[in-house]
This record gives sequence, structure tokens and C-alpha cells, in this order.
Amino acid sequence: MKISTKGRYGLEAIVDLAIHSSEGRVSLKSIAERCGMSEAYILQIFLILRRAGIVESIRGAQGGYVLARDPSQITVGEILTVLEGPLAPVPCIAEKTKRSKSSCERYENCTARSFWEKIMNTLNDVANSITVEDLVKCYNSTVSQNTELEYYI
Amino acid sequence: MRFSTKGRYGLRAMIDLAVYSNGEHVTLASIAERQGISTNYLEQVFSTLRKSGLVKSAKGAQGGYMLSEVPSDIKVGRILRALEGPLSVTDEDDEEVSENESSIRKCIRINVWEKMNKSLNELVDSITLEDLAEDYRKRNGIDSTMYYI
Repeated sequence: MKISTKGRYGLEAIVDLAIHSSEGRVSLKSIAERCGMSEAYILQIFLILRRAGIVESIRGAQGGYVLARDPSQITVGEILTVLEGPLAPVPCIAEKTKRSKSSCERYENCTARSFWEKIMNTLNDVANSITVEDLVKCYNSTVSQNTELEYYI
Repeated sequence: MRFSTKGRYGLRAMIDLAVYSNGEHVTLASIAERQGISTNYLEQVFSTLRKSGLVKSAKGAQGGYMLSEVPSDIKVGRILRALEGPLSVTDEDDEEVSENESSIRKCIRINVWEKMNKSLNELVDSITLEDLAEDYRKRNGIDSTMYYI
């Protein structure tokens, strides 16, 4: 029941983008360097994020990416769902979300399914309650704590 | 982000046991038939459940299993952890807390993964096997006072 590297790296890259947004557009190369990821992999991720309207690309020699919305308007849940699909602990719930007929014959009246749905709803609620801005704030306070510590060494 | 078939089938088998046992041992064949799970696979699942102390096996020709505690004392979280290991949205290997953990990763770990894991574990520990058995009985029109011979 795991979130893949796509979701984890994508989230990290978006937070990095948000942190460096004051500089205007941010290149994938710089994100890849700071986050220690392959530029090719980040490109794949950002193509998905762009299609989903989470980032916008700016072409040209000085090109790069920007967030399409304010960081307070982008939730972790949205990023993870775009990159990972529904946070479904079992396949039949994911199938329902995709609006296709479920292949499980017990689907209609299944006790276990309503339990799994509770899990999915809880995970979505938590993920949707965290915004990119929350993570940027955490980063800023972490960095300023580190800076204070260095000062005393 | 998925539970394995062991976790899914194991939970369904435990619900079945809670509903149909009534103090008697239940054979894996009967669970297999009611739940549409292969008996072979159930043997693997029940081996794990027995080692975790969640079920007891019967000796003798009849065979079968029963719950080792009443369903209202068994939290679903305990069943899932016995079958799946610790419940986490990330692989432990990938999310090792290293000395060089970047600030961004640390923020995500604390505010996202750990928060999700906490809610997940709190949820599954707030539901008992009896809760699920009761839901099953209602959906299938089973009177909980009926006895099965």
C-alpha cells in the first residue's frame, strides 16, 4: 500500500518549485540538481502536472516552470492523485473512481469494500488538508532553525 | 497504493469466521466456498493468522479454525498488521531518515507521510472485527442469534 517514487518525487519537486518561485520561472535542471533526481524523470512528472493544470511551462532559452496557482490553493492530495491515481487500498475502489464497471462480483453489497472506502476517505482527507504552502512554511522554519544552530558553532 | 491479496482475503476470512463460527470450529473449505477464495490460499493465510495468535486450529478429523478471542476484542488493525506488516503509505527503505535528509524531505515526511500513517492506523484500530461482522450480517440478512450446526 505504497506511494511510488512518482508521487514522492513529484511532491518534493513541487515544494522545491514553490520555494524558488520568487525568482520567477524555475528550470527543471535546477530542481533536479537540488532534489537529487534525474532531469528526465522530473520532466515526465512535470508533463503530467502541466496537463493537470498544476504547473505552467514557459518556453524559450530562459524557460522553466511556474505553479499555475497560489501554493495555498494546491493540496498534497491533488498532487498525489494526479501522479498516482486514486489512493485506493484495493483495486475495486479504484475501478469505481475511474467510472468503469468493477470486475468483482461482490461489489454491490460488500462489507470489506465499505471498510476499504473508509481507509481511502481518511487518506484523502489528510492529504487534502495539507497545502503546498504548509510545506513551504515548514521548510522556511526548518531552514531558519538550522541557520541559528550554525551561528553558534 | 494497495493491500495485497493476503490482507484482503485474510480480512474477509476473519469476518466470515466471526459471522459463522458461534463457538464452533469452521473448516477452511466452508470459508472458501462462501467467500470464493481457494482453499490452498486460505491455508497460507491461516498459517499466518494462527502464528499471530488470532485463530486457533482444531485437532482431529473435523479440523477447522476458530477465533482465539471474541470479535469485539479484535481490532481490524491487528489483523491487517499480522498479514501485511506495519501499515505505511511509503516503503520503509525509501523513506529512511538519513543524516543527509533534506529539509524538504523532512517536512514532507513529518507533515504528509507520518500524518497519513497516523490517521490510517488510528482508523483501523478504531474498528473491531465485530463491527465488520455486524455489517456483514446486516447486508446478508443474517440474524445474529441464529445458531449454525
